[in-house]
Amino acid sequence: MKILLIEDDDDTAQYVAKGLRQSGHAVERVRDGNDGLALAKDNAHDIIILDRMLPGMDGLSLAKQLRESGSQTPILFLTTMGGVGDRVEGLEAGGDDYLVKPFALAELIARVNSLTRRSQRTGAEQQTTLRVGDLEMDLIARTVSRHGRLIELQPQEFKLLEYLVRHEGRVVTRTMLIENVWELHFDPQTNIVESHMSRLRTKVDKDFSIQLIQTIRGTGYILRGN
Amino acid sequence: MEIRLLRTESFRLTAIFAVLFVGATLILSGVLYAIVDSAFKSEIILNARQDLAAVKKGYDAEGIGEATEVVNQRLARPTTSDFLLLQNAAGQRVAGNLPAVTPVIGTVRLPVPTARKDDHGAEHRILGRGQFIAPGVYAFAGQNLAVLKATEHKALRAIGWTLAAALIFAVAGGIALSRGFLRRMDTMTQTCQAIMAGRLSDRIPEPGTQDELARLASTINAMLDRISTLMENVRQISTDIAHDLRTPLTRLRHRLELVSAEATTVEEYGVAVDRVIADTDGILSIFSALLRIGQIEAGAARASFRQVDLDKVVKSLADIYGPVAEDRKHVLAIPVIEPAKVLGDRELLSQMLVNLIENAIAHTPDRTRITIDLRMTEAGASMRIADNGPGIPAGEREKVFRRFYRLEQGRSTPGSGLGLSLVAAITQIHGATIELTDNAPGLCATIAFPKCR
Repeated sequence: MKILLIEDDDDTAQYVAKGLRQSGHAVERVRDGNDGLALAKDNAHDIIILDRMLPGMDGLSLAKQLRESGSQTPILFLTTMGGVGDRVEGLEAGGDDYLVKPFALAELIARVNSLTRRSQRTGAEQQTTLRVGDLEMDLIARTVSRHGRLIELQPQEFKLLEYLVRHEGRVVTRTMLIENVWELHFDPQTNIVESHMSRLRTKVDKDFSIQLIQTIRGTGYILRGN
Repeated sequence: MEIRLLRTESFRLTAIFAVLFVGATLILSGVLYAIVDSAFKSEIILNARQDLAAVKKGYDAEGIGEATEVVNQRLARPTTSDFLLLQNAAGQRVAGNLPAVTPVIGTVRLPVPTARKDDHGAEHRILGRGQFIAPGVYAFAGQNLAVLKATEHKALRAIGWTLAAALIFAVAGGIALSRGFLRRMDTMTQTCQAIMAGRLSDRIPEPGTQDELARLASTINAMLDRISTLMENVRQISTDIAHDLRTPLTRLRHRLELVSAEATTVEEYGVAVDRVIADTDGILSIFSALLRIGQIEAGAARASFRQVDLDKVVKSLADIYGPVAEDRKHVLAIPVIEPAKVLGDRELLSQMLVNLIENAIAHTPDRTRITIDLRMTEAGASMRIADNGPGIPAGEREKVFRRFYRLEQGRSTPGSGLGLSLVAAITQIHGATIELTDNAPGLCATIAFPKCR
């Protein structure tokens, strides 16, 4: 994937670029907001990682202008501005995801991967059934079955599984789950992800030879069909 | 005299009033002068008419001899005209104390004979009336205006002195008032300068009166007290932060020291680095919590407040935290959840609830039952989060909202001591109150929201 990194801080830029390159992405980096907008308008990138406080033009205006120009390239905000309402502002300006500094590299890479896949699927019609291997989710009837066997899930467990299935083959982090499945935008002190995940895995994987959900140590989880 | 004394507001006001007073006195004196002057002159003319009538009556009865007699009698009496003149048809003086004149009828002014000139000068004239009492026989009666002029002069002088005295009093009073005013202002200015220079505990002396300067002084003092309380808080917080961050940083340092001394393999280093990263994340999370409390207390979030269905928030969080509580062998129950709308920020309200739920889970032993009730009362939404754990001693209940404050019994459990500070900040920005009470046994936190709309 070709990533445009618009970040004025050299240390952060180096850290991010190195991490992304190691996980197989090509990174182009600019310091200035105006240069960033000009480059972004070329539509030559698969994803834009955008700081909010930039010389030339701030990230929020950049995102707005880019969207006004018709570009649909996914934008991931990477910023120190994590105040109440800042995230909403970023998403309203046209951001697709919002990650607050300081962050773990694994977190950033997982989100970048999640965004690139999402952008590829943009335009696909609404799915009513999701399938991974022998797992089938009916989004209308809210039922889950594996190998034709019905699995009873609590609503929270269903939401969690749906998110994992939609991100099939990609790592999802704890924070991504907390933000997207439970819509909490702060760090809880207790292991809510682990509590729900262990219940889900007992129901979905315990009686089967193939374990769909795997733990990625220190990062999160991944759901794979085979 | 200092120039700034004359520039004070009180001096200016005094000066304005002095000028107004002088003006009013002058107008009043002028009017009085005119009235008195014209009354005096009418009196003179009236006297002259009576005297002339008496002379004419004498002449008509017994001729010039009797008329002469009347003139002499009248001149001897003090209440009549001072000057009389009777002259015959030849224009010669027959009687009276004035030299013969060319007869003029009506109101006449005649010069005072040289002998009668006094210190008021020659311009003084005799005012009176002349008439022919018989063909060719002319009579004049009048009075010296000097008496009037002298009286008027005295009156004017009295007014002048009064005015001068009034002006002197006004200026002196103005200066005295301004001095007092300036002295008090100087005290205020000096106190403020002293405070700016660092003597933060200085206060403006309050005289105990109710005037505007006293009110200003007491307002400034109250403001200074408030500022110093806030400063003290800030100072306390920065001390706390320094103190409480030293502990995790020290732990981090010890770990690194140990690794440096003992780790030999790449695996050992790997494990150590992971733990150091986890420690660092812990420290960073303390900073995020502090920043968040600061941001919430600043109140900017109020701008984006909207109606939140608190019952839905509670239900959703109970769903999320049910399994978490269960894993810790606790029970989380929501026996009463009434529909309740509050004006607020959904994210912050969630965080407030999460902190209270997590607190209840983290600081209570196994098999503790945690219940959340939400009721709509007349006053607004009221939420209770109660547990039957060990509770908090009565004396400590207010302190737990302070930043970094941790109970003795809670020191061994993980936590930064910021969770309840955040809860307090969130309730405050929502205009809600939080109260901790004894749940006998356990702790009960009651949050009362103001009525929505």
